[in-house]
Amino acid sequence: MSHLRGCVRLLLDLLRELADENAYRRHLAAHGEKPSPEAWRKFCDERLVARFVRPRCC
Amino acid sequence: MRKILGHLVWAAISVLAAFALAGIALNRGEPVNSVWLVVAAVCTYVVGFRFYGRFIGARVMGLNNDRATPAERLRNGYDYEPTNKWILFGHHFAAIAGPGPLVGPVLAAQFGYLPGTLWIIIGAVLGGCVQDFMILFASMRRDGKSLGQMAREEIGRVGGVTALVTVLLIIIILLAVIALVVVNALKGSPWGTFTIACTMPIAVFMGLYLRYWRPGKVLEVSLIGFLLVVLAIIGGQWVAESPTWARVFTLSGPALAIAVIIYGFFASALPVWLLLAPRDYLSTFVKLGVVFLLAAGILLVRPQLQLPPVTRFVDGTGPIFAGTIFPFCFITIACGAISGFHSLISSGTTPKMIAREWHAWPIGYGAMALESFVAIMAMIAASALPPGVYFAVNSPAGVVGETPELAAATISGWGFPVTAAEMREWAREVGEHTLMHRTGGAPSLALGMAYIFGSSVGRQFLGFWYHFAIMFEALFILTLVDAGTRVGRFMLQDFLGHIWKPMGRTSWMPSVIFTSAAIVLAWGYFLYQGVLDPLGGINSLWPLFGIANQLLAAVALCVATTILVKMHGARYMWITCLPLAWLVTVTFTAGYQKIFSPEPRIGFLAQAAQLEAALRAGTVANVAETQALIFNARLDAVVCGIFLILVLLILGDSIRVCYGVLTGKKEARLLEAPFVMTRLKPEEI
Repeated sequence: MSHLRGCVRLLLDLLRELADENAYRRHLAAHGEKPSPEAWRKFCDERLVARFVRPRCC
Repeated sequence: MRKILGHLVWAAISVLAAFALAGIALNRGEPVNSVWLVVAAVCTYVVGFRFYGRFIGARVMGLNNDRATPAERLRNGYDYEPTNKWILFGHHFAAIAGPGPLVGPVLAAQFGYLPGTLWIIIGAVLGGCVQDFMILFASMRRDGKSLGQMAREEIGRVGGVTALVTVLLIIIILLAVIALVVVNALKGSPWGTFTIACTMPIAVFMGLYLRYWRPGKVLEVSLIGFLLVVLAIIGGQWVAESPTWARVFTLSGPALAIAVIIYGFFASALPVWLLLAPRDYLSTFVKLGVVFLLAAGILLVRPQLQLPPVTRFVDGTGPIFAGTIFPFCFITIACGAISGFHSLISSGTTPKMIAREWHAWPIGYGAMALESFVAIMAMIAASALPPGVYFAVNSPAGVVGETPELAAATISGWGFPVTAAEMREWAREVGEHTLMHRTGGAPSLALGMAYIFGSSVGRQFLGFWYHFAIMFEALFILTLVDAGTRVGRFMLQDFLGHIWKPMGRTSWMPSVIFTSAAIVLAWGYFLYQGVLDPLGGINSLWPLFGIANQLLAAVALCVATTILVKMHGARYMWITCLPLAWLVTVTFTAGYQKIFSPEPRIGFLAQAAQLEAALRAGTVANVAETQALIFNARLDAVVCGIFLILVLLILGDSIRVCYGVLTGKKEARLLEAPFVMTRLKPEEI
């Protein structure tokens, strides 16, 4: 049962990582900010611009 | 005792791999079950990962978990961040998994399932996985530097500039060819076109939702977006059945090409958060979900392979693309066995997030093995279809004939029986007017996937599954088109900024519009050329893309070989030289044939000469169109030649450096970051 719980936790963590939600959390911690529309927009403007500069895989 | 048991288990897996590979390779006459392919692939990957991958990690790279990685040393909570091994594995896999491993094997199935399957498995274990692992390791030891930076530092300035120009050119060809796959899948299909058209307002809605209504709730909005896309698929059926709306959404190839070009321009110029990012999130989740679903479907249904192991088209007369099995099978498979593009990902985000050096082993080697398995699943999906249906869907009208009856007769004459009535029935079952002449791989893959999904949950939903598969393919191909256009725009802005500074400012609107338009027009030109090509476009563009992609892999392997020579002299250089020598042989043979072959369906120059002769003889119906085709064939020859010259440059530079190091004339100076002892605690990962 604990293995199953661990797998589900890992899967959710993976989804959060792919969704940039973990990165947003790290961004808030690094800047000492609380979640807010402004913080999210600032995070998006930095992270997404950087992300779409890199080539994508075929 | 435990050790002996371990040895026995690995021996059993190795024997099973050999037995399954021999089974599919030597079997003739009796139909083969797809499970054999799955067993052969999985066992070979596992053995390759455990023994070859570990050998490279331990002996060649000297991976050391005591050495702090860039994620720890340069930690900034942004891009440098120690990340859980399995999360990073998923992240890396999602980044490397594109349409290539799905489309390439489907096209290569024209040679039969055997050549492609063997190359996917062997090429991945000895080539693709090694390349990804080596570049990931090299970048990780160099603070996450990119392939271009490593080429410049380890080989020289020429190598670095060549790598950058090669990447930009490859992006242009890649975008054109994958956009062509989408256009060929959607032309004359109101259901598919409506569904894909709906994904655009859905993405904008998701962007606004994230920006203004529920900031940060990406998983929540992705789930909403996915439900809306499913509704769009269901609505698509209604559109296809409505005479008025079906007419609105039934578009020709050229009309769809123009729509995709316009979309590409806006996606590149609009703010990222509005369209690109939400599409990217949605596409990533759908992609991973469908790959998982397809694996489950294949294991559940275990379809028999209906395509023969080897077809008559190994002689080069294939209807989908012309060319003999060597070198064209290896060029066509592309990403399922080895992909140059992976080296850009392996030297991008991933090396900055690795917590322990040994994590590079499952992430670099393992994720590529999984990608290769996706290619095996695509091969199974294509081979599960009746061969006549497979060729009817994929063969261009210019080769098999315009009418369904004529096409069916031609294909049946090749020994793959199919009737026009049978094709009409397949089309009716999936809710399409016709499935004929849809060259590009996407529709036949969707048909194969629908067949597998339909067999597990009921054939009455075949239409839904077919359009679900088309939506999945088109969604993430278009995401690649818009993201790729933006990347190309930034590269061009960076280049032009050296000539005139304001052009380098990424937020200066005139520069944004000019560079976006330039990149869109560059790939749009090749796309439009492919749409008008009477041979279906795939015949000329896919091999060009395959050559370009494999040449980029050759660039990456040149960098890896140079680093290996600097580390160990000649001792381990065979690890990268082996796949490098193969790739150079394959790509240069294919490139030479594509330019100089006297067969007009293969050689661009021969094709131009044939058209010119017809023009002079006055036997062409449309003079302007023929002149454009002549120009396009010559342009393709020039592009192919440029690729070969660029790679010769980097290969020569790499040989010069390696020779210098091996003869002691050049200092073997590695540019790795210095050793720092890790302080990362296990609970921090």
